[in-house]
Amino acid sequence: MRSWLRAHPTLRHIVGRAGWYVLTFFVAVAVNFVLPRLGDANPVDMLMARARTNLDSTTARQQEEAYLAEFGLVHVDDAGAVIRDAAGKPVPTSLPSQFLRYVSLSAQGDLGTSILQHPRRVSEIIGKALPWTLALQLPTIVVGWLVGNLLGALAAYYRGVFDRVLYPIALLTSAIPAFCLGIILVYVFGIQLEWFPAVGGYDDGMVPGLSWAFVRSASYYYVLPFVSILVIVVGHQAIGMRSMCIYELGTDYVKYAKLLGIHERKILLYMFRNAMLPQLTGLALALGGMVGGALITEMIFSYPGLGLAILTAIQGNDYPLISGCTLLVTVCVLIANFCVDVAVGLLDPRIRASHGAAQ
Amino acid sequence: MLIRTPRRSFLLLSSLVALAGCRRETGESDQTFPRDQTVYVGGFQWGPPSSFNPLATAPDWPCMVGNSHNLFYETLLVFNTLTGEMQPLLAQSFQVEPDAIRVVLQPSARFSDGSPVTADDVKYTFDLGRQHKSLRLAAVWPFLQEIEAGADGKSVRFVLERARPNPLVVLDALQETYILPRHVIEPLLASLGGDMNELGKLKFDERSIGTGPYQMHSYSAEKIATVRRDDYWGNDVFFGGKRAAAKYVVHPVYKSNDHYSVALQQGRLDASSSFIPRIWLKEKKGVRAWLDRAPYFAASAMPVVWINHQRTPTNDVHFRRAMAFAIQYDDIRELAVSGYSEPVKPGLVLPFGFEGKYYSEEDAQKYGASFYDPVRARAELAAGGYQPIWGPNGELIETRDRSGARVRTVYIKSPTGWTDWEAAVRIIVRSLRAVGIDARERFLDASLYWPAGYTGDFDLLLGTPASAPTPSKPWSRFDFVLTTQDFAPEGQKVYRNLGRFNDPKAPGYVPRFTELLDRIPTLTDPAELLAAYRELNVLVMVHQPVLQFVYRPDQFYEFSNRVWQGFPTAKDPFLPPQIPSSRLGTRMLWQLTPVGQQDLAFLPRGTQP
Repeated sequence: MRSWLRAHPTLRHIVGRAGWYVLTFFVAVAVNFVLPRLGDANPVDMLMARARTNLDSTTARQQEEAYLAEFGLVHVDDAGAVIRDAAGKPVPTSLPSQFLRYVSLSAQGDLGTSILQHPRRVSEIIGKALPWTLALQLPTIVVGWLVGNLLGALAAYYRGVFDRVLYPIALLTSAIPAFCLGIILVYVFGIQLEWFPAVGGYDDGMVPGLSWAFVRSASYYYVLPFVSILVIVVGHQAIGMRSMCIYELGTDYVKYAKLLGIHERKILLYMFRNAMLPQLTGLALALGGMVGGALITEMIFSYPGLGLAILTAIQGNDYPLISGCTLLVTVCVLIANFCVDVAVGLLDPRIRASHGAAQ
Repeated sequence: MLIRTPRRSFLLLSSLVALAGCRRETGESDQTFPRDQTVYVGGFQWGPPSSFNPLATAPDWPCMVGNSHNLFYETLLVFNTLTGEMQPLLAQSFQVEPDAIRVVLQPSARFSDGSPVTADDVKYTFDLGRQHKSLRLAAVWPFLQEIEAGADGKSVRFVLERARPNPLVVLDALQETYILPRHVIEPLLASLGGDMNELGKLKFDERSIGTGPYQMHSYSAEKIATVRRDDYWGNDVFFGGKRAAAKYVVHPVYKSNDHYSVALQQGRLDASSSFIPRIWLKEKKGVRAWLDRAPYFAASAMPVVWINHQRTPTNDVHFRRAMAFAIQYDDIRELAVSGYSEPVKPGLVLPFGFEGKYYSEEDAQKYGASFYDPVRARAELAAGGYQPIWGPNGELIETRDRSGARVRTVYIKSPTGWTDWEAAVRIIVRSLRAVGIDARERFLDASLYWPAGYTGDFDLLLGTPASAPTPSKPWSRFDFVLTTQDFAPEGQKVYRNLGRFNDPKAPGYVPRFTELLDRIPTLTDPAELLAAYRELNVLVMVHQPVLQFVYRPDQFYEFSNRVWQGFPTAKDPFLPPQIPSSRLGTRMLWQLTPVGQQDLAFLPRGTQP
């Protein structure tokens, strides 16, 4: 096996990276588990407050203990009764035992029950919100990346009026905070002109389903959130690509190619390919992190998605939901990074060459 | 050739945006919920729905406890917050007897599966709280001895606990407890081995068996939709055989007050209970409130600043009364809550509405401290031996006590992001510092705010004691603030009397508070009742256990008449200011008419069903 890997440096590179990613995964899961719990808050307090009861304290304490036991936060005996200390207080479970319980349940595919959205399962919450998040994020990131990079490369190559117009616009759009642009769009196109709906993901009069009417409605509601993210992504990508291309234009290979009289389209392709590598890494990271949701867009447009679920989970110490969401984000970011590593290893001749040299 | 690509992209993008921007609304035929058959309500559901189980701790709209929504399940009685009277719902009538409350059920009341509502169902529902202490219903059982179902199947006697007779708590329970079908719940519970926690995990999100006029249509993270039951038993009893005008009642789930406000202005929402600042600016968009001028809403709750009585200097009555005199109440009313409050008066009785008869202006003037009077505030501080130290520019450096030691800064805790409360806290801090009290704001994440209140980890803390308007008011507000029944020292949790006022084991214990709290619920003679309330309120004014700073409505009743008309207002108060899914507000659904169809009104305006 070792000799086989030695004979295949690219595979060796991939296996080596995979090992590191597995290690990173376990560390990330442990950190994600421990960090929210360091605050020493009692997540059931929020649940009790939400019930807004006028309960007498004895009844309220009984309810609280029942929930603490259900979420594995206090010790229970074999009969399911809460174990108490000498002072009559429930004995809290230790962090390591909570972690073991979490790992063992997660390994069986059980992410647990949300505390704040009790009795909804974490997997159900993520499953319902994720399609909206992906539908909003994936096209904006991909379209924004393509359009931004294309515009950046063209601006760098042709300069002139095109660059003088595009560059300040890209600077402006990339500098506008997302919430600011979102609010402006809502105010102008949603409230004043009433061209687009200001809030929601689809017509309130519809039930989500695979019908043409629903798709049309969702597309109509999609425009403002989509544009609010797209404009910013395009600006960022265009500026980054423009700088990279200007750098590439000054390199010897471009000058040499020009002197050789190679067609400008081919030169642009060479340049684009080289300038694209860091942009590609950025794209993969953005795609990996997109499952975290577009929080600001969700909040401004009251758009469905995972971002707000994560925020409210963190605010309310909803441990199972935090762990479920961070697990998803961790897995996606690591997979995206791994894919970039593999792709760069396969595509970039310099990296292939470096592995060959190492041998 | 190369330049054509961006041109194409631009063209493609522009056409996409233009295509989407041609104001193409979804066709009426595409709508599951046609607009003129759907009433959209808002302001109760702030996150994705998780359960519609009335036995869960925190079920979602329209099964949530506290606001007595009665679309799916119904209560025996419904409380009219305008008149302070109980009105019939599942119960035809009720009578408070010396040792019991007797309820007679509507003969025609039926569950959605056609089975009649019997005394047995009522007894079974309430008995659940006796057996399962984790249920909210358990809170009424210390005040009940037993429940007797009449042999006729239609009358029920709630026998009061002899040791602690308190019909008020039982009346509260009668108007907030959903009556459940025994023939459904009992076998379900038995199939779960009698485990109520397991039963509480069931979502009841399909067409569950209730008595209400609507049932579940569909729900998602974005909305909860209910559909009318045409065979609702109450159509004949209350509405002359007519059905509710709205076929659907839908609650969209938005993520902030602003979204509810925008939706109201756009006519996408018909009624909402959400805080909309400066509502008069939204009038031109058709948004209205109960009143057409300040305070716009009918107040029924009293937010207070809880004071920690286990700490210095807040355990000193002079310090507390100085704070009460120092607060600039008018600024809070005008600046923090958009004028949505009547002027604040001393004591824990609302000086208007059905509680107003227990309020005495004479007592307030004589004993009260909740008036802005900086001179008396400084006098109280001086009487307590407190001395402010002022800087060269008139700013407060610190406060010293009688011994010359620095009095520690008192912090006012409030949840971050509750903008009206944040503004109120800033005004309170400014007011207190102006008279020489070293106070500061401390805004907390909600996850820290609630435990701080329960464990007593605060100097001053904003909260609203017993906020729901119920028949036990104002007694239950007094009880929530003053009860020593489950008193616990700081660090241990309590859910009432968060300030740990009137420690029964402390030398300064005033037993008269407890005596009056126990006595008032048993009184029936109006004169005796008035005297007792006056005495209790005077004690509150003198001891200042909490600081009142504003009044607020139970529901911010706002409506838009762009699609539906016929909403009650203060000028036409045929129903109380409640969203049409809550309490008597539900009856609005029979009275509203789509705009342009006013001739089809089912009932003449002003008709009380």
